[in-house]
Amino acid sequence: MLSYIIRRLLLLPVILMGVTLLIFCVFSLLSPMERLATYVHDPNTLKNSQAMGRLIEKYHLNDPFPLGYINWLKRIINFDLGWSQTANQSVKDAISQRFPVTLELVLYSIIPVILVGIWLGVLSAVHHNDMLDQTIRVTAIIGWSLPTFIFGLLVLFIFYGILGWFPPGRLSSWAQDIVYTSSNFHSYTHLITIDALLNGNIPIFLDALRHLVAPILTLSYISWAFLLRITRSSMLDTLRKDYIRTARAKGVDEHTVIHLHAQRNALIPVMTISGMMIIEMLGGVMITETIFTYPGLGFWTATAAQQLDYGSVISFALLFSSLMVIGNLVVDLSYALIDPRVRLE
Amino acid sequence: MNRILRKLFSNATSLIGIILLIIFIAIAIFAPVIAPPLSEDRYIIPRMSWDIDPQPPGSPMSDDIRDIYNYMGAEIKYDRAIFGTAEGGYDIFYGLIWGTRTAFKIGLITVSVSMLIGLFIGSISAYFGKWLDEILMRITDIFLSFPFLVAAMVLTTVLGRGLDKVMIALIVFGWMGYARVIRGNILSAKEETYVMAARALGVKDNKIIWKHLLPNTIFPVLVEASMSIGSMVVTASALSFLGVGAPVGYADWGQMVSFARNWIIGSPGRAGQYWYTVLYPGIFIVLFVLAWNLIGDTLRDILDPRLRGEL
Amino acid sequence: MITNNKEPLLEVKDLKTYFFTENGIVKAVDGVGFKVYQGEILGLVGESGCGKSVTAFSIMKLLDYPGKTVGGEILFKGENLLRKTDAEMRKIRGKDLAMIFQEPMTALNPVLTVGFQISEALLMHFPISKDEARKKTLELLKKVGIPMPEQRINEYPHQLSGGMRQRVMIAMAMSCDPILLIADEPTTALDVTIQAQILDLMSTLLREFKGSLIMITHDLGVIAEIADRIAIMYAGKIVEYANKRTIFYSPLHPYTFGLLTSIPRLDLEMKRLNVIPGIVPNPLHFPEGCKFNPRCSFRTDRCKEEEPQLIEVEEGHLVRCWNIDKVAQEVKKDLLVGV
Repeated sequence: MLSYIIRRLLLLPVILMGVTLLIFCVFSLLSPMERLATYVHDPNTLKNSQAMGRLIEKYHLNDPFPLGYINWLKRIINFDLGWSQTANQSVKDAISQRFPVTLELVLYSIIPVILVGIWLGVLSAVHHNDMLDQTIRVTAIIGWSLPTFIFGLLVLFIFYGILGWFPPGRLSSWAQDIVYTSSNFHSYTHLITIDALLNGNIPIFLDALRHLVAPILTLSYISWAFLLRITRSSMLDTLRKDYIRTARAKGVDEHTVIHLHAQRNALIPVMTISGMMIIEMLGGVMITETIFTYPGLGFWTATAAQQLDYGSVISFALLFSSLMVIGNLVVDLSYALIDPRVRLE
Repeated sequence: MNRILRKLFSNATSLIGIILLIIFIAIAIFAPVIAPPLSEDRYIIPRMSWDIDPQPPGSPMSDDIRDIYNYMGAEIKYDRAIFGTAEGGYDIFYGLIWGTRTAFKIGLITVSVSMLIGLFIGSISAYFGKWLDEILMRITDIFLSFPFLVAAMVLTTVLGRGLDKVMIALIVFGWMGYARVIRGNILSAKEETYVMAARALGVKDNKIIWKHLLPNTIFPVLVEASMSIGSMVVTASALSFLGVGAPVGYADWGQMVSFARNWIIGSPGRAGQYWYTVLYPGIFIVLFVLAWNLIGDTLRDILDPRLRGEL
Repeated sequence: MITNNKEPLLEVKDLKTYFFTENGIVKAVDGVGFKVYQGEILGLVGESGCGKSVTAFSIMKLLDYPGKTVGGEILFKGENLLRKTDAEMRKIRGKDLAMIFQEPMTALNPVLTVGFQISEALLMHFPISKDEARKKTLELLKKVGIPMPEQRINEYPHQLSGGMRQRVMIAMAMSCDPILLIADEPTTALDVTIQAQILDLMSTLLREFKGSLIMITHDLGVIAEIADRIAIMYAGKIVEYANKRTIFYSPLHPYTFGLLTSIPRLDLEMKRLNVIPGIVPNPLHFPEGCKFNPRCSFRTDRCKEEEPQLIEVEEGHLVRCWNIDKVAQEVKKDLLVGV
C-alpha cells in the first residue's frame, strides 16, 4: 500500500501541471488583447496603445507558448489572477469572498445526497424487483432525467412563486444588515449558519437555513439519484456472492447479513465513485446559484461567462479542477485504506 | 441481437422510452410541416410580437410583425403562438419543434464523435500497454479533473456562442468515459486465451484489436453511449440556459428555458403567470432525456444478467 | 460406526427442488431421499450438475432465486425443516446444522477478519462475551491445525493459503458443535496433499464431536476414505444407495459401475479403464425413460420408455435400474472381487 500511496502522491503535481497546461491552452485561444483585458482594471488603459504595448510585454502575452505558460503559471502560484469585471474586484478577492458561500451550500448538500442515496440504494437492492424497488427505481430515473435547471426552476416556482416559503438569495435584508455591518456580529467561519450559532443569534440562523433549503434540494437532487443507482447495482452484485450464503449458513440474522456482510463490501466501489460524483455536483453549483441568486462562486462565474469576463471564468476553472484533482487523490487514498485487500498488500 | 430487441420491447419502462423516442423522431422529421418556417434560416425562431414580457398561449401575431413578414414575402401558415411566447416575443411552439432537431443533432453528433475518440484512445492504450497506456491514462485523468459543465462552459465562453462551439466543447470533454470503459474491457479480455491464441498464431496486432477484442467488448460502451445522448442534450441546454450556448433566438430547448429565467416568479399577486415559459420547454427536455434513460437503463439490466446467465 | 439410535438424525423424503428459469423449469432435484444416522458419514456422489449441491442447499434452505423446494420432507431430529420459518431456521443453521463450501476464497468475506467470521457464529448462538468467543476461536484455530493462531485471528482471508482458508471454514462450521455437517466438495479446490490433510481433520473432528457428515463430492477416492454409506446421484435422482463396501465391490447400477471402472484402483486388478460415453444431459431437455439410458451400455428398449423406480434389492441396498442382473454379471467379470 505504501508504494501505491507514494505513487499517487508523485502523480499529483504531474496532473496539476497537466490541468494548468490544458487551461492555459484554452486561455491562449483568446487574442493577446482579450487576455490583457483580464488583468486590467480600468478599460481606459486599453485605449492607449503605448500603455497597451507595455502591458502586453509585462504579461508576456505575445511570447511563444512555453514562456507564456511559465509566466502565467508563476502568476497563478502567486495568486495574481487578474481582475474581475463582473465583481469589480480582483479575482483573488472575489474568490475568497464567495468561497465560503458556496462551501456552506455544498456541505449541506452532500449530507442528504449520501445518506438518502446510499440508504435507498441498499433498500432497493434488498427488495429487488419488489414494488418498493420498482417505485424507488422509477423515482430515481425520473430524478435523474429532470435536469438540474428545470428542477431548480420548478422548486423556485412552487416553493417561492406559489408558496412563498423559501426565498432566493442568501439572507433577508434585515439579516444581511446585521451580518455585514453590525459590529456585534463576528464572522468566524463566514459560514453564516455556523456563525449565527456561534453568535447565539437564532433568528439569523433560521433565516439562513430558510434560504438554503431550495438550493440544497436542487443541488443534491441529481446526485442522489445517481448514487442510488450505483449503490443498488453494487449491492445486487454483492448479495449474489458466495460469502453471503456462508453468513446465512452460519445462522446470521438477515439484518446483519445485509448491513455488515454485504454493505461493507458493496460500498467500497460506491465510495470511489461517489467521491467523484460529489465533485461533479459542484459543477451543478453554477446552475443552482444562478437560479436562486445565491451569491457564491457559481453565480459569479455564470454571470462572468455571459459577460465574457474571461479572467473570472478561467480562474474558476482552475480552482475547481485543482479541487477535483485533490479530491480524487483523497478518494483514492481512502479506498486504499478501507479495502483490506489493498491495505495489506 | 434479437433477444435484446425482444427484451427491450417486453419491458414496460423501456417500451415507454421507445414510444417517446419515436414521437420525438416524428416531430423532428415533420418539423417543417408542424411548424412551417417563416425565414430563410429555419432555426431562427420567429417572433410573434415585440413585447418584452411573455405572452400567454394562443396569442396572435402582432400586426407590425405580420407586416414585416408579408413584406419579406414569407408565407404565414400559422399566426398564433400555440404555446405562448417567451421573452422578446419568440414563439415557444416553434422553438420547441425545431429544437427537437437541434437536440437530435447535438446528441447524436457529440456522442458518436466522442465515442469514437474514446474508443480509439482507450483501445490503443489498453492493447499496447506500458508507457503508452500510462501517458494516455494520465491525459485522461487530466481531462477528467474538470467537472463537465464547468469545462464546457469555459470552452464555449472562449470560443464564442454557437451550436457548433457547444458541440466541440461537449466532445472535447466527453470522450473520457468511453476510453476508460473500453480500456477496462480490453484489459480483461486481453488475458483471455483466445487472444493469446491469436497472438501465438502470429495474427497482426491491429487485426486482433479490430476483429477479436472490439466486438466482444463494445457492447457496454454502446449502452453507455445511448445513455449519454440524453445527458449531452441536457448539458447543452444547461449551457444555453446559462447564456453561453446557442445564440439568442436559435431554436434550442435550453434557449427556451433561459428565456424563462427572469419570468418564472411572475408578477406580484400573480405568481404562476408565466408558467408556460417553463412548462412546455421543460416537458420536452424531460421527456427526451427520460426516453433515453429508460431505454439505457433496461439495456444495462439486459447486459448484466446476460453475462451471469451464460456462465 | 452406526450407533444404536434407531431414528435417523436426518431423513430426506422425496425432495423436489425446481428452478423456475425463463427458459423453462429445471428439475434439479427430483424425488431424492436418504437417511443419515447419528455418527454416520454419508457420501453424496455424482458429476457436476447432478443436483447434489442443490440438495444440500435445499436442506439448509439456502436456495437462491429462482430455485424453490416444491415437494417432499426434510426431517431433522424429527422435525420437518421445510415447515420452519426463517427465524427458526436461523437458530438451527450454524448451530445444529452447518455447511462447508467448495471455494474457500469466495466463501469467506474479504473485508472481515478470519477471527471475526469464526466468532460470529459463536456469538450468534450462545450468550457468551466477546472475550470468551475470542478464546474459543483461538482454540478452534489450534484444533484445525492453523499455526500461530494469535496472529492469524486478526488476518484477512486473502492473507491465508487455500488450505488454511478451508481450515478456517471448517473451524467456522464446527464452532458450535453441530450434530450434522454438510460438506460441499470441500477438497476440490485444494492440492492433493492438502486434500488428505483436510479429510483427516474432518474425520477426527467428527469422531470427537460425535457428529454426522454428508460429504458431497464427485471424487470417489475422497469418498472411499471416509464414508459409511454412499448415495450416487444422476440427473436429480438417486440411482444407487448402499454402504461403502457394496458400492465399491458389488454395485448394481450401470452408472456406478461406469464410475468405478473409469478410475484406476490399487485394490483390484483391472484390465483397462472404462469411459462413460456422452455427457451429462441438459436439465431442460432430459431424455425419455431412464435419464441415464443414452450413455448406458446395458440399456434395453424398456429403458428408453419407462423410468425405473428406486427399489430395495437387498437390505440397505437400493437401485434404480431395469437391468441389474446384467450389471451384476459384468461386475463379477470386471471387478475381481477379493471378497
